[in-house]
Amino acid sequence: MSTAGPLLQVEKLSKHYSVGSRGLFRRSGGTIRAVDDVSFHLRVGETLGLVGESGCGKTTTARSILHLVQPTGGTVRFEGEDILPVFAAGARPDVLRIRSRLQYVFQDPTLALNPRWTIGETLREPLRIHWPGRRDQWEARIAELLGLVGLEPQHAWRYPHEFSGGQRQRVGIARALAVEPRLLILDEPVSSLDISVRAQILNLLVSLQQRLGLGYLYISHDLASVRFVSSHVAVMYLGKLVEMAEVDAIFARPRHHYTRALLSAIPVPDPDSTQPRIALQGEVPSALRRPAGCPFHPRCPAARTVCREVEPRLEEDEFGHRLACHNPA
Amino acid sequence: MPSIPVSASSPPLLRAEGLVVHFHTRDGVVRAVDGVDFEVGRGETLGIVGESGSGKTISSLALLRLVPPPARIEAGRVLFEGEDLLALPETAMTRVRGRRISMIFQNPATSLNPILSVGAQLSEILVWHGMATKREAPERIAELLRLVGLTDPAARLRQYPHELSGGMRQRVGIARALLCDPSLVLADEPTTALDVTIQAQILDLLAELRARLGMSMVLVTHDMGVVARMADRITVMYAGRVCESGSARTIFHSPQHPYTRALLDSMPRLDRSYRSGGRQLLPAIAGRPPGLLNPPAGCRFAARCPEATAECRRVLPVQVAVGPDHMVACLRRGSQGMAA
Amino acid sequence: MDAAIPAPLPAPPVKPPGIWRQGWYRFRRNRGGMVGLGLVLLVVLVALACPFLAPHDPGDQSAMLRGGARAAPSWLHPLGTDRMGYDVLSRVLYGAPTALAVGLGAMAIASLVGIVIGGIAGYVGGLLDEVLMRFAEFFLVIPVFVVILAVVRLFGIIVVGTPLEKVPHLNLLTIIALLGLFGWPPIARMARAEFLRLKQAEFVEAAICIGATKRDILLRHILPNALPSLIVLVALGIGGAVLAEAMVSFLGFGDPKAISWGQMLYFNYEALKVAPWGSLAPGVAIFLTVLGFNLLADGLTDAFNPRLRQ
Repeated sequence: MSTAGPLLQVEKLSKHYSVGSRGLFRRSGGTIRAVDDVSFHLRVGETLGLVGESGCGKTTTARSILHLVQPTGGTVRFEGEDILPVFAAGARPDVLRIRSRLQYVFQDPTLALNPRWTIGETLREPLRIHWPGRRDQWEARIAELLGLVGLEPQHAWRYPHEFSGGQRQRVGIARALAVEPRLLILDEPVSSLDISVRAQILNLLVSLQQRLGLGYLYISHDLASVRFVSSHVAVMYLGKLVEMAEVDAIFARPRHHYTRALLSAIPVPDPDSTQPRIALQGEVPSALRRPAGCPFHPRCPAARTVCREVEPRLEEDEFGHRLACHNPA
Repeated sequence: MPSIPVSASSPPLLRAEGLVVHFHTRDGVVRAVDGVDFEVGRGETLGIVGESGSGKTISSLALLRLVPPPARIEAGRVLFEGEDLLALPETAMTRVRGRRISMIFQNPATSLNPILSVGAQLSEILVWHGMATKREAPERIAELLRLVGLTDPAARLRQYPHELSGGMRQRVGIARALLCDPSLVLADEPTTALDVTIQAQILDLLAELRARLGMSMVLVTHDMGVVARMADRITVMYAGRVCESGSARTIFHSPQHPYTRALLDSMPRLDRSYRSGGRQLLPAIAGRPPGLLNPPAGCRFAARCPEATAECRRVLPVQVAVGPDHMVACLRRGSQGMAA
Repeated sequence: MDAAIPAPLPAPPVKPPGIWRQGWYRFRRNRGGMVGLGLVLLVVLVALACPFLAPHDPGDQSAMLRGGARAAPSWLHPLGTDRMGYDVLSRVLYGAPTALAVGLGAMAIASLVGIVIGGIAGYVGGLLDEVLMRFAEFFLVIPVFVVILAVVRLFGIIVVGTPLEKVPHLNLLTIIALLGLFGWPPIARMARAEFLRLKQAEFVEAAICIGATKRDILLRHILPNALPSLIVLVALGIGGAVLAEAMVSFLGFGDPKAISWGQMLYFNYEALKVAPWGSLAPGVAIFLTVLGFNLLADGLTDAFNPRLRQ
C-alpha cells in the first residue's frame, strides 16, 4: 500500500439515538449520545486499544466505522478514502472494495458463526463474494487460512458446535483474514474465552499482526489484555474520548481521573499488592441524563467548579498525550 | 490484607471430602467433579478458582445439593457444623439452604424475581425461615440494605429489580444472602457481570462485611485478581480435580503445580510493558482442557504439562502436603499415584 | 500474496453430522415423536398403496343391492358396510390420500404466505412490520369456519355453468385453499420472530461485514436457521387442517365427489347406535392422523429446540 497517511482516521464521529419521543403514552424523550465527537487515527502495524466500561460507546464506535449502524455525524477515512458516503451510496463494487480490507472479529465466536455451516462453508463465503473469479484457489486458501490460525485442514468439514471457544475464535479470525484485509476491528475477542486459552489467542493476534502487517482496533474492557496487545490506548467515558496516549505512557502515567480510577479498580493478581485504590462514588449515569460540563465530574475526586460548567476539550500535550480534563493529575 | 489464622486443631466450618458429581448425558457419564476435597475455616474466605468446566461451580452447588439434572452427586461427604449435608433428609436440607448457608449469584439481573418488589422477595425468605413475622420483616430488611450500602432503604423496599442498576441489584443480592445470619456464604462469580469500577465497589463491600460480621465465604471465580484480593486460602481446580490448595500468598508467590504456575504466567499483566525491548509474547499454555466424558487416564493436565512423564499419563495424582497448609496433586512434587 | 498455495483440503475420514442429522439423533430418542412419525408414515403408506390394500372399490355400493347395508364386520367386509352400502375399510383407506392432500396442500399455502409475510415483517421492520402484523391479526380473528362454509356454498352456486365446473374436486380444492389462506398467521408470527432474532444475530452481522448481499443473508443465513422452528408449526398445522376438513365435511359442506373421513362421519353418525363401525372407523382414522402429526410436531420441537424445554 502506498498510502502515506494513517490507515484509519476517524474525525468527529457521532452516533445519537433519540428515545421515547415517539409513541402515544410515553412522553419522556431525549437523545442518547452513544458516541459523541470521537476522533482518533491508527497507522499500519499499530494497535489502538479502545477501552471503557459497558455503555461507554466503544462498540458503537466500531459498528459505526463498519456502517453496521449509521453514524449521525463525522467522517471515517480508511486508507485515505472517505468511506461512510460509500457505504451510504451502496454501490456494490465500491462497498466490496472497502469491506475486503476492513474486517470485524466478534466477541462471541459461538454467535458469530452460522451454526448450520461447516467451517469450510463459513470460510468460503468471503471468497465467494470477493474472489468470484478465483474459484480454483478457494479450497487452497481455506486450508492456508486454517493453518494461519493454527487449525488443521480437515477442520473445514466440522461444525462450530464441535469446537471449543478458542478454536471457534480462531475460525472467526480466519474468516476476517480471508480476503487479505488491512485493518481488523477486534471487539472483545478474548473475553468469552477461558483464561488458559486467552493467552493463545492474544499471541496469535500479535503474531498475525507482525506477519501480515495489519492494523488493529482492539476494543476491550480487560485492560491487562489491552496493555499486551496495544501500541496506543484510547479511553472512553459516556460516549466521549477522555484520554489517549501511547500504551506504556497511559499505563505508567494515567492523567485523566477516570483512567486512573479504572486502572486502580482492577484487582491485581497478587495478595500482597499495595496498589492504591481510587474508589469511585456511584455508577456511570444513564446516557440520557448526561451531566453538563465534564461528563465525569459527579464521580471525579478532583472536580472543580469549572468542571461542572465547561466541557473540557481533548487536547494534546508536548508528548503526544491527548487528554480532556480541566484539572489533570 | 486481613488474614485470619486458622488453627489446625479447631475443626473447619465446612469440609468437603471426596466429592464426586457426574452428569448422566445421553452420550455417557461426564465426570464433572471427580474426587474433590476442600475446607473452609470459620471467618475465612476460600477462593475456588478454575476455568469453565473445571467443576468449580458444580462443586459449590453440590455443597447445598443443588446440582442441576442430569448431574448427580455420586459420592463424598460435606461436613458442616457437625453433620454430613449429603446424608440429611431433603426437608432438613431446606432449613440449611438460605439460612445456614446462603448464596450470592453471578447475575443479579436474573437472580431476583422481576415481578416482586425488593421488600416482598426478601421478606418472603425471612418469613419462610421463621426469622421474622411479616410485620417485623421490613425493619430487618431495611437494616440489611443499609448495611450493604444502599441509601434510603425504606424507598428501596418498594422498588422492583428493574428500577435498580446492576451494582445496586448485586447489593440487594448480597443483602438477601445475609438475611438469616448464615454461617457460610457461597458466592459464585459475584462480580463477573459487573463493570470494573462497580466490581471494585462490590469487592470492597464484601471485604468490609467479612471484617465486620466475621463472615465465612466460598468465592468461586475464574478471575485471579479477584481471588488475590479476597481469598485467605485458595483451591485451584482443573478438569474436575483439585490441583493445588494453600494460603493465597503461597499460591501466588510459590505455586508448585505446573498448571497453577502456567496459568499465572500466561496472564497478561497491567504492570508490565510488553513493548520495551522488542515485541514479547505471553507464555501461553498450549492445547485446551480435556473433555470429561472420557477423561485421560492419568493426571488431567498431563497433555498440556511441560513436566509430564509417561507415569503422569498413566496414574492419577492424589494431594500431598508440600508445606504448611499447602497441598499439591502432582507426581513430580511427590504425590502418590492412584491407578485410574 | 498467494505464492505458496497449499494442497487442497483432504477429505475427512468420517463426515460429521449436520444439524438435520443431529436433530434426528435427538428425535430418535423421543418416544412420542417416534410414535407420531410411525403414525404419519402409516397414513402416507396407506395413501400411496390404498388401491392395493382396499378389498373393494370405494365407489362400490353393490352391498346395498344385496340388502347388505349396515352389515356388521365379516370376512367379506372386515369393517362392515355403512348405510349407503359402501365397504367401510375401503372408504377409510381411500380417505387417507384426501386427508393428506388437505393437510399438505393447506399447509403448503399457509407456509408460503406465512414465511413471506412474516419474514418481510421481521426483516424490514418498522411501519411495514406493524401493518403486516395487524393484517395477520385481522385474519386471526375472523371465524374461519363460517367463512369456509359460506364460501363453499356460494362458490358452489357461482361456478354452475362456468368452465370451472369441470375442474375435478373443485370443492375440496376450495377448502384446501381457504384453510391455507386462513392458516398462515401463526406461521407468519413465528417467521417474524425468527427473522427479527436472526437479523440481529452476530453471524448475520458478520456476513454483512464480509459484504454478503441481502439475498444471501435472507436465503443462506436467516431462512435455514428459522426453518426448524417453523417445521414444528407446519407439522402441527397439518393435523389441524385434516381435522378442519373433517369438520367441514361433517357439517355436510364437503366435496361430494371426494372420499373423506369427515364425510363418512356425516353420512353415518345417525346410524351410530345400529351400525357403529360406519362412523367409528373414520373417527379413529382422523384421531390417529391428527395425533400422529401432533406427536411428530412435539418430537420435532424437542429435537430442534432442545433448550425450549427441559
